[in-house]
Order: sequence, then C-alpha cells, then structure tokens
Amino acid sequence: MDILDYDLIILGSGIAGLTAAIHAYRSSKGSAKIAIISKLHVMRSHSVAAEGGISGVLYPESNNDSQKLHAYDTVKGSDYLADQDAVDVLVKGAPKEIEFFDHIGVPWNRLEQGHISQRPFGGMSVPRTAFAADKTGFFMMRALYDEVISYNGVDIFNEHFATSIIFDKGKASGLVAIDLANRQAKAFRSKAMIIATGGFSRVYGFTTNSYSNTGDGTAMAFRAGIPLKDMEFVQFHPTALVPSGILITEAARGEGGYLVNSEGKRFMESYAKSKMELAPRDIVSRAIISEIKAGRGFEDKESAMGYVYLDLRHLDKEKVDEHLPMIKEITMKTLRLDPSEAPIPIRPATHFTMGGIHTDIGGRVMINPTRASTGLWAAGECACVSVHGANRLGSNSLSQCSVWGRITGTDAVKYALNSSSGFDSRLKKLAERMASQAESFLEMKGDVNPYEIRDELHDTMDTNLYVYRDMKGMIAAKRKIQSLRKRFMRVYVSDKGKAYNTNLKETLEIANLIDLAEVVTECAINRKESRGSHVVIEHPKRDDKNWMKHTIAQKSIRGVKLSYLPVKVLKFQPEERKY
Amino acid sequence: MRYSKYAIFNYVGILGVPFLIFLMFIYAYLGSPTAVNILSYFLLAGIMIFAATGVKEVYLTKKLEGSKQPIITGETTEHNAVNKASHDTRQVTVTIKRFNSSTNQFDNTSYKFNAAKHTTVLESLLSIKAYGDNSLSVRCNCRMGICGSCGMNINGKQKLACETNLLEVAEDTGTVEVSPMLGHPLLKDLVNDFDSFFEKHKSLHPGLERRNETEKFTAPKEYKQSAEQLDKYLPYSYCIMCGLCLDACPVVNSNPKFVGPQSLSQVYRYYMDSRDQGGKGRLFSADTEDGVWGCEFAGSCSKACPKGVNPSAAIQLLKADLIKDISKEE
Repeated sequence: MDILDYDLIILGSGIAGLTAAIHAYRSSKGSAKIAIISKLHVMRSHSVAAEGGISGVLYPESNNDSQKLHAYDTVKGSDYLADQDAVDVLVKGAPKEIEFFDHIGVPWNRLEQGHISQRPFGGMSVPRTAFAADKTGFFMMRALYDEVISYNGVDIFNEHFATSIIFDKGKASGLVAIDLANRQAKAFRSKAMIIATGGFSRVYGFTTNSYSNTGDGTAMAFRAGIPLKDMEFVQFHPTALVPSGILITEAARGEGGYLVNSEGKRFMESYAKSKMELAPRDIVSRAIISEIKAGRGFEDKESAMGYVYLDLRHLDKEKVDEHLPMIKEITMKTLRLDPSEAPIPIRPATHFTMGGIHTDIGGRVMINPTRASTGLWAAGECACVSVHGANRLGSNSLSQCSVWGRITGTDAVKYALNSSSGFDSRLKKLAERMASQAESFLEMKGDVNPYEIRDELHDTMDTNLYVYRDMKGMIAAKRKIQSLRKRFMRVYVSDKGKAYNTNLKETLEIANLIDLAEVVTECAINRKESRGSHVVIEHPKRDDKNWMKHTIAQKSIRGVKLSYLPVKVLKFQPEERKY
Repeated sequence: MRYSKYAIFNYVGILGVPFLIFLMFIYAYLGSPTAVNILSYFLLAGIMIFAATGVKEVYLTKKLEGSKQPIITGETTEHNAVNKASHDTRQVTVTIKRFNSSTNQFDNTSYKFNAAKHTTVLESLLSIKAYGDNSLSVRCNCRMGICGSCGMNINGKQKLACETNLLEVAEDTGTVEVSPMLGHPLLKDLVNDFDSFFEKHKSLHPGLERRNETEKFTAPKEYKQSAEQLDKYLPYSYCIMCGLCLDACPVVNSNPKFVGPQSLSQVYRYYMDSRDQGGKGRLFSADTEDGVWGCEFAGSCSKACPKGVNPSAAIQLLKADLIKDISKEE
C-alpha cells in the first residue's frame, strides 16, 4: 500500500475545499505540502450546480443595506436557531469573499459604473445577492480550479474515494482512499485535515442535488464518534423541476417570477403577504405543499407527482436570456418548454442539509459536545457551525463555503506547520485493515441488490420526512431504515474488476446514506416542535421555552445518542416570524 | 521561439502554389504558344502539384503515428427490459459499446428500455446499471448539464447524456447506440481517462493573472468591469471541461500532442478579460506547432460543444492576434 505524507489534507473539492486549499497555500507562502482528495474530478463538485448567487453587503449606501441587517435577516430566516456569533462572522466575511472571487476571474453581472450587480433573494430585506447569470457556483468553481492548479505545493487527487478517517487517540492522523481508476488503496498521513465533503441530500430520492452528495465525510466522522448537529433540519427548495428534481433557481422569483396554483392565483398572498414569492424557502415550500394537498395543484402523469406553476411569462424576454440563461436551457432541453411562453411545473425537493459535523465558530471539529479536537476542521455544507439554524436563506451557502473555507484553510495550515509531531509509523497497519474492510464487499456472497436498498431508502425519506412530518410516519421510517440496514448486510457487489468500479464505490456510499438517514430520523422524532424546515403536525408551533437548542447526535452501541446544546443569542431576541 | 514567424509561411505556401500555376498559364498564353512549350509547362505544373501534395501527405502521416488503437468488437449480448412499461412509455433498444480493459475490446450489450417522454439517455443508463447489470460504469454527477461528467457518443454524435432525450435520439428506428469518446484514452465501459486532457488545460496556464499577485488577495475593492468588457470573454467562459470538443476534433484524433480546442479557448477567455494582466505572454504560450497552429479549422469542436462555446473562433482570433503582433514587430 502506498503511503503519502502531507502537512494538510483537504477532503472534498467544492467551493469550501478549494477555497481552503488556496488560502492554506497563500498563508503558508507555499511552504506547506497540501493534498486535495476528491471522489470526483475536482472541477465537477456539486458546487457547480449553485445557480442564484452569493450574499454579502457590498454597497451599504446605495443599497440601503448594512451587515447588521444581513445578520438580522439570516437569524430570522433561521427561525432563531442560528448561533448569532457565527452569523456575525459570516456577514463580516462575505463582502471580502465576493471581491476575492472577482480578483480570480468570476464574470459577475455588472452595473453601469462597473460595480457588481446584486439581485433580491428570499428572506433578504434588500438586494444583496451578487450573481454571474444563473451559473454563479459554476463560475466560482472554474475560477478556483484555474487558480489552484497553478500552485506547485498543492497536489490534486482526482477520483479518490475516501473510505475512512484514521483517528489516533482522538486526533485525526490521516485517511484511506481508493483510487477509482485502478481500485488501488492509498493511505494518506497528515498533520492537519479539513473535511469539506458537502451535504447529504441524496438520502432523499427527489432532490436538486448531484449524485455525489452522499455525505461521505459526515458519515465517516459519525462512525468515528464525532458528534453531528441539527441533523433533523433538511431544506426543501420550493422550485425543483417536475419530474427530474433539477433546480430552478430562487433567482427566477428574485427577478420577478410568480408562483401560481391551478386556479391561476398567486397563492403566496395567503401565506406571506409582504414578501410573497420571496419569503424564505421553508415557508414557500409549505405553501406549495398546502396548495397541492388542498387540491389546487396539478398532477404529473409520468411520476404521479403533484405540482404548481412557476410563471416567468410576464418577465422581459431579454432579462430572462441575460439573467436566467441556464433555467431556459434546462427547461428547453429537458421539457421542451420555453419559460417565456409556458409556465414551469415545480414542486419542493431536498436541497440543502443545515445539519452536519458539529464544529466551533472557527470550523474546528468537536470531539465531544463541548470540546474541540486538534488537527481536524470541517467547512462548507458538511459542517454545522450553525449559521443557518433551522432554515438557510438562499445565497448564504456560497458565502458560508467561502468564509469558512478561508478560515479553516488558514488555521489548519498554521497548525500543521507549527506541529512538532511527526507522522505515525503504526498507521500503515491500521490503514491496511481499513482498506481491506472496504474491499470485503467484493467477497461477500449476498443476495441483495444494493440499488434496491437505495431506492427503498429514497421512497421512505421522500414520503415520511418531507415538508410536513408526523410521528406515525417518522416512526415507520425509523423501522424501515433499521430493516434496510439488516438487509444491507447481505448485499452483493457484481463488479469485481479493478478499473473504475463504481459498483463498489456506490455500495459504500449507500452504507453512508443508511447511517445518515437513521440520524436524521432519530433527531426529527425527538424534536417536539415546529421550527424552520422541521414541521411536525402534532407540534405545529415553535416552542422557544423548551426547544431553543441544538440537537447533538453521537454514535453509541445502542444506535444514536442525543443530547442538546443552548443556542447563542446575542442581539436578536426570538420573535414571531412573519413575512 | 515564436512559432508564428514560421507558421505564416504555411499560408504563403498554400496560396503560392495555385498562384505560380496561374502565372505559368499566363506566360504560356502570352509567349510562343507551340505545342512543346505548353506541354512542358503543364508537365512542370504537374510536378509542382505532386510535390506539394506529397509534402502534405508526409506531414499528415507523421501526425497519425501512434494515435488511435484499432477498434475490435468483442462479445455481443442482448437483454430484456429493466423497467416496467406503461401506456405512456415506448420501448427502445439501448446498445452500449462497453470498453473492456482486460481484453482491450468493445463488448456490445443491448437492453430493452421503456422510455417515458422526458427520460434522458443518462437516466436509462443508470436504470440499466441499477436493475440490469450493476457492473456497468458511467461517469456522471449533476445531471443538469453543468458538471461536464457525462460526455459520450450517442448515435455517433458528441453529447452530454444528461441533456439528451432518449426518445428523440431513438427516433423512428427505436434504437440508440451509446459509446465512450474515442478522442480520449479509455478506462472502462463508457468512462474515459481525463488525465492528459487536464494536463493540456493546465499547460497553457489558465487563471486570472495580475502583475501584483498579493494584490489579488488583499485588494479591498472589486476590479471594475463594464458590461461591454464582460461580453468580450463571457461566451468563452461557459466551458464545462467535458472533453467533447477534443473528441470531435480531427486533429486531436490524429495528433495526440495537439493541445486541442478546450485549452486554447480558455487562453482566449482570459486573454480577453479586462481584469487579466497576463497580456502577450498568454498569447505566446499558445504560439506553437501543437498550439494554435495545430488547428486546421475544421470547426467540429464548435459544433460539438454542448454549452455553445465557440473554440474554433477563439483559436482563429488567437492566430489573427499573433500574426498582427508579428507584423508589428517587423
């Protein structure tokens, strides 16, 4: 087995991972040895699918904006579950990040004087979302990629699937990854590590997310005993295309699009009178589902899905072409539908996971609910710093990824270079054992098709842990997941080959999905209130007296162990959330 | 060494041959038009044309050396449908040319598939993988045409599988043939090896350059750019690095050393960005035999690009700027 030594390992290559790599390289002046390990080609991470834009207060005077207002919007959007000290870090850091992306080549849409243009977004009081048409994430990724490949101290490992993180006495000291091209296992030893593996929306079937979003880093951390936070909060994006689930950006409503039911009425009037279609995502998603349930939706024959319309016909055609070209391209190519001529069929789909690896405000991974680990960081969607609380506002995710990408990259490399400890010589044996564990699936003589398990898991989550949840459904889901876990012990992997074995990789991913689905369900069953994206029919109200706290989930012998941590409330006291 | 100094003679040479022949005809007509005279001029012209084509031939054969491996067909298998039919579906036959790395052959595997109105080729392949043969390998990720993973040949055309409608490509015949790209090395089934493609991209130093590197990281404000300045490079910034343009390019397929349309289009993208200060250095990096001058302007890259980037235009514009630059020097 090959053993590779690095000062800093970054697992994951989305906006958080690549930003971390760039700032780690810059702040160490190129002296650190850095590795980026990705199960994809680095430039193809799911961040490319981000459409609408990145939030940040760029021009307080002309936009009548302030960082305090951005913080207030974010906290209110989070249904007061966000930690307000972390939100401060986000709103202070965000403008600098947008400027940084300008300096590395993102083609921002511009105003007349050459300034960066900003558009309105859901739950934001003023237009503060900078954008590059509706391909913002893609352009940010390309700029980061073209920047990072010019660095000599940064090694890129494309298509290396990490199977486990090696912990030694509570310190992360490396990881094992399989090179997909030839199925060769490699051990990476490191002084510091950043997990930036993205979200886990693929525990659901109907999702806007890429196939890769299986939460591998989150699941690996969980199995290693690291606590996860607020896992019950899963965001449903109101406007996903029916039947594919492809994302139709919130910017479509930011540019003036309407949501219309089967009676031709803009129904948001009855749910959020002042913000209408630009209310936060949890509210709009509930409104859509309520309309469909009340019989004011349509039904797609192919998939039997209920939907409503996103109507862009009244928008200026040139504006659609200039600001929403990708939406037009997607609807034209997948549905043969021109958004300027026909309304778009949409319904809420899983989009973002607010929960994730429990970290402190600096992105350091917590080894138990209250103590930070040494040498391990997490950034981006896989981490729960908690800036999004119970519901993320659109365009806050790209700022979160870049702000904490910078923080963790800078801190982790500093730690690595100051660290006196060498690489662990006993690690080789451990790594070999872990690699053979992952490969043991190849020898298993099971009779269960792993994809069958995946599809049943998707159905369970889509039905029982969707926009509206009830106790009966959630408990049924818990039982189903447990039975799927048992059946998973009998899976077989047909592909025994060495070249590009996606069958093995996907079986390992499905194992991660089962772990995460169980945590989501367990956390959801136990939060007996409705807050942000988590709405339980039996407990329809927010309960600040008992539930103003974060859920912490840890692996235990009996399954998932839950505990709770208080929310950090500073300037903004909880109040009724009306839009 | 600036290659454009010599490349310019290439063009002079090509135009020069017909010009010479034309001159000879004029001379033959104006001079003493005896039969022997005319015959000897024709003979001379013939030799020159023969020589010119011969040179071109040698040049092309040299390029062809060590390029493509012969394509051998291995096993052929047929299978029943992997999904249920309904009154809204139509059955099509999906034939997958799977590259087998252990035999170095292509195995043809056919599956019946019940396609609905909006089923994409990628969806059918993933269904076949899940419920037909788990060992089928496909590279894919976003399934919305932006990550660039699923470039392949569908009925012989360069396409992204995720944005290709299955029924539309099946048309009346009811059959669809899917194979990996042949302009890139093969790994397994429909999956290509992209290592050399990424190396080519990197070799021309993409990325925004500033004279003062630290300013890039510390400047407190945005660099200003007008909408007109944005439009100059925006169309070239849509490249998703799917590799389809290289697969379509006849030069890449005969001369693996040619850097190809993708990386060259990106040179132009940064060269035209008003924020970039890489200046002429950027141009000169592409000024090589296997850089811009490798392009023979077939235009197939622009036709293949699923994102509407026009690499062949970018390359000709780079050539024009290089020639302008050389003439200024002289």
